[in-house]
Amino acid sequence: MPLDTSTYNLALLRVDGRRWNELRQQGNTKIQCIITGPNERDASKNTSSSASTAPTAGGAGATLAVSIMIAPFATVDRKRRGRNDKRVQEMQTTIACGLAAAVQGQAYGPRSTIHIALNVLSQDGSLLAGLINAASLALVDAGVPMTDYLVACTAGSTSSYAAADEAADPLLDLNTQEEQELPFLTLATLGATDKVVAMVCESRVQLTRLEGMMATAADGCKAARDFLDGVVRDKGELMVQEGAIGRGEVVSSMDLD
Amino acid sequence: MPITILQPSLAPPPKPRHEDSHSDSEGGADLEGDIAMGRPAKRARTQDSSIMTPGEIITDDPQWMRGHGTYVIPGASSNTILSSVAGTLAKTNKLLSVRPLRARYTPEIGDLVVGRIVEVQAKRWRVDVGGTLLAQLPLSAINLPGGIQRRRTETDELQIRTFFSEGELLVAEVQQLYNDGAAVLHTRSLKYGKLRNGVFMSVTGTGGGGGGGVVRARRQAFTLDISGTDEVSGSEKIDVVLGVNGYIWISKHIEGEGAAAETSGPGITRIEESVGLNVYSSQNDIIPVDTMREIARVRGVITALVENGLRVDEEMVIKGYQEAVEMAKEERDSADTLWLGGERGKRLTKALVGR
Repeated sequence: MPLDTSTYNLALLRVDGRRWNELRQQGNTKIQCIITGPNERDASKNTSSSASTAPTAGGAGATLAVSIMIAPFATVDRKRRGRNDKRVQEMQTTIACGLAAAVQGQAYGPRSTIHIALNVLSQDGSLLAGLINAASLALVDAGVPMTDYLVACTAGSTSSYAAADEAADPLLDLNTQEEQELPFLTLATLGATDKVVAMVCESRVQLTRLEGMMATAADGCKAARDFLDGVVRDKGELMVQEGAIGRGEVVSSMDLD
Repeated sequence: MPITILQPSLAPPPKPRHEDSHSDSEGGADLEGDIAMGRPAKRARTQDSSIMTPGEIITDDPQWMRGHGTYVIPGASSNTILSSVAGTLAKTNKLLSVRPLRARYTPEIGDLVVGRIVEVQAKRWRVDVGGTLLAQLPLSAINLPGGIQRRRTETDELQIRTFFSEGELLVAEVQQLYNDGAAVLHTRSLKYGKLRNGVFMSVTGTGGGGGGGVVRARRQAFTLDISGTDEVSGSEKIDVVLGVNGYIWISKHIEGEGAAAETSGPGITRIEESVGLNVYSSQNDIIPVDTMREIARVRGVITALVENGLRVDEEMVIKGYQEAVEMAKEERDSADTLWLGGERGKRLTKALVGR
């Protein structure tokens, strides 16, 4: 069942270079991420009682609290989701645990919490991937130390079992329409490495297809990392040009003598 | 009041970031390895850019030591130092550290901070100073009203809310740091204590992280003479406290009080006479409208400085205030001369930097 709507190109990701609240677009998915903290506020006392938490650095570092809000106007059918939607909660937990692997929370101490509030303004596929990327970029912008960007991407398979079409291409970065029709997975890797931090696959997929999909998604992650990196660099260079921060020094072997 | 509609300024044209690699209709990836997805030519930019980003290798030379904002891969035998934040590289002899573009305030001993009480405990207060953890202010680290020197008794503990209660603002100094980075404050000086008669504002104060905002300076608190503006009657002054943590307090100046009071005042022996009984008063004095307006103007100047990415320190605030007064004189007939956002803020900062 080939889709004529299918496009392979990685979605044009756009970022509005705002502080603390970053807007990001993956496909037509629009996500706003607001980071509060790290500060010493009890996660359970906060309004987002439904947030999922995960400790960093094996419990010795700051706690991450992730809460997702999907706006009723984000989808076509204008469905209101409850706070305790199990799918949303699972995504929260996935993001919290995934980011906990990348964030170096020991710089802050175990009593502090980083609150990550994700608002889905428009939903058009690759939701989990977009959420992870938005949170990752916002954390970097907030100056939270991380081993690398945590980037995510989706991949799907066009081939059906009946067709037995071994040469069918895997798809990268699916939109809603594709997600509804094709088996797909979301893969999150640590930066440009092939270290898989999280993988979510909710559909039935042929085992032989899985490897190709994962490879595709991992490549998408690398591209996403480069894009996020470019955005951060552009902003940093702008700040250097404006004189907000001092120019950096360069390490060269010449200095060592 | 008439409403002015300002022409929105055009956003700067977006920089072409990617060579258009998204049109590869051939397909994203195949398993044999050759991948065409807008990746190449990307690595080259690390060479000319001085910005470090998380996960970027700074050096693999074993002679360097790693400092803040960097990490090494645990367990690996190599000496590769990687960056963990986005920022610029700083070298101190053989120590490599990355100064983040933006960061939360990290307290250091001796910092002058403005804080807000968030919690009252039996023998101490917990103060929000904008850091990752709440700072604490022990009961023994404050001056008693009247400047009496004695041990803090149970009576004082019971009356702890008469000194500071929740939500109140104070200016204090960082006395001590714990291992986890939490700060202990003290207000045992006439310069420190409860804040009133003014306005609070919060800017991006990184306290040495970089990226505009309040910077550590020789003097964090100063008095601004506003009698130079001919609209103000009498000789009024404004106290400005620039907390290193980015919290700022702008208030009416009262002789012999406030953080900007000269240290040449009464010595420790005469502290009893000088510390009035009203140091813990939460009641504002009567503030003339002129003073209020000038306080608002100072606040506008600081907001404009931050919005335009300039540092906030004594020199910039004083210069900026003078410039703002000049601007207000020029536009005497316009309805609102206090507002310093948008184009007016740009004009102000341009005049400042151009000097």
